[in-house]
Amino acid sequence: MIQLVRSELFKLRTTPGPWVCVAVTVLLTGLGITTSFIVGHHGNVHFTAPTTPLELRNLVGAGYEAGVVMAPVIGVICITTEYRHRILTATLLLHPRRAEVITAKVVASGIWSLVMSVASFAMVAAMGIPLLVAEGGSVSAMLHQVGPVVPGILAAYLLLAVYGMGIGTLVRNQIAGVILALGITLVLEPIIVAIFSSLAHMDVNFLPSRATQAVAGGLVPRGTGGGGGAGAQLLSWWLGAIALVCWGVGTAFVGYFTTFRRDVT
Amino acid sequence: MSVLSSAARGEPIEVRSLTKQFGKVTAVNDLTFSVQPGRITGFLGPNGAGKTTTLRILLDLVESTSGSCTIGGRRYRDIEDPARHVGAVLEATNFHPSRRARAHLQMMAIAAGIERARVKEVLELVGLAADAHRKVGGYSLGMRQRLQLAGALLGDPGVLVLDEPSNGLDPQGIAWLRDLLRRLAREGRTILVSSHLLAEMAQTVDDVVIVSRGRLRVQGPLSVLTTEAHSSMRVRTPEPERLAALGRGAGFVPRLLSADTVLVDGATPEALGPILAASDLVVYELVQVSQDLESLFLELTTSMTEAARPVEVLQP
Repeated sequence: MIQLVRSELFKLRTTPGPWVCVAVTVLLTGLGITTSFIVGHHGNVHFTAPTTPLELRNLVGAGYEAGVVMAPVIGVICITTEYRHRILTATLLLHPRRAEVITAKVVASGIWSLVMSVASFAMVAAMGIPLLVAEGGSVSAMLHQVGPVVPGILAAYLLLAVYGMGIGTLVRNQIAGVILALGITLVLEPIIVAIFSSLAHMDVNFLPSRATQAVAGGLVPRGTGGGGGAGAQLLSWWLGAIALVCWGVGTAFVGYFTTFRRDVT
Repeated sequence: MSVLSSAARGEPIEVRSLTKQFGKVTAVNDLTFSVQPGRITGFLGPNGAGKTTTLRILLDLVESTSGSCTIGGRRYRDIEDPARHVGAVLEATNFHPSRRARAHLQMMAIAAGIERARVKEVLELVGLAADAHRKVGGYSLGMRQRLQLAGALLGDPGVLVLDEPSNGLDPQGIAWLRDLLRRLAREGRTILVSSHLLAEMAQTVDDVVIVSRGRLRVQGPLSVLTTEAHSSMRVRTPEPERLAALGRGAGFVPRLLSADTVLVDGATPEALGPILAASDLVVYELVQVSQDLESLFLELTTSMTEAARPVEVLQP
């Protein structure tokens, strides 16, 4: 299994797609950092250093939204590339036991998502700290938020990649998989949340985006499926993690039995 | 320097009562044949005969409807370290176009637990060492085919399953492949190779398995199939009618080709010679006409009544 995971990681780092995911994550993190310094007040927009603990948490976790978008994509890419470039044949010739292949891909996409999150934090350090200093903010106050924020963000990236893997296992087509993963998070979930939480008063906290928020410690994605309101009650972090694992493993399980076990012709 | 270990042991391939249906289409129909170590076996058939499906079932890429395929008595999925036992070339499109050739083989080596140094060896063996840094997307079909072969040989396996391995190869490449396969077979490896290039197959293989419409048509040593079992004698004589009568009497099928020439189907020099000598027939010319692989193939696979044709399995 270790050989197989190493091979899957090697596959990821020797093709451009995963590196594009890292680059886009860093870029989106840069946007998130910039947003952390923008404060609207009575119609006036100011560029100023974040000072409150919540603002500083959002600065440290500026890569959260990037993760919400890109971590599922890396999961989708990890599996659908096999179909897109027809390399599944070579993969299965080396390891004919398909359940082990899926497991290795889950682990590899999770590890790669951690690489993406580390790149995101590096961007926060490289761009956020100099901006904070330039705007007269407190670096030590920001560093106090590292402990509470970083583990949640790392876990969110990891679990979202597993969730993306599940989607990718279900849908062979790479573009359809990416659209589906992003569409669920960015479009479908806000609609479901709006309809079911306000009209039917159903618990929507188990949906992937809300569960991700819970894992990340309540960081609110700006306009990315954070429907239900920032102040809405979230699951505890561990229940959110279980919900995300269930989404990821559940879709991968269904995908394994409906799609991945099909004949490779 | 040899990069192929003579210690690699071939194992027999056994296909037993194999059937595969895709919906209402029966791609493989109760197919049974075996492939022995130390021999090159050509797996031949027209398009849609079920060759690729059979090979993919053998390699556990496709699930059979019924029947079994084993390599050394085991299903492919039950072989520990399959890359060290079985090398396969299926189609020259199984590459990520943005990955470099060396990286493709390194990826395979990591997955199979094979030392990285082996990558360089097989790249040199297939003549791709100078182009190993290039992305596979820029490779020609022939280069991709060589890369596939490099991947198949990475684990120094005792069994090779090759589907159209000479596709895209230039004449030098085809000759190189022929020599390589012969060398591998001499080392005792099992080699099953499918191809449409019958002339090339005739120069390469020891045994043939011919299939059509998913069914076995014939299996056996090529030399036996094309000479003894299906040989004819062309005889020039001033007495063609008498010769025809003698041939019919001996159980052969004589056909008049011209005023003084008769083709005696089914006859061999050893069988016909004594008959002619005993009859005091004047003979101007006596030539054995062997059926070549192409005519054998066409006869077996294009017959309108092939469904009724009995299967022939000849022993080496």
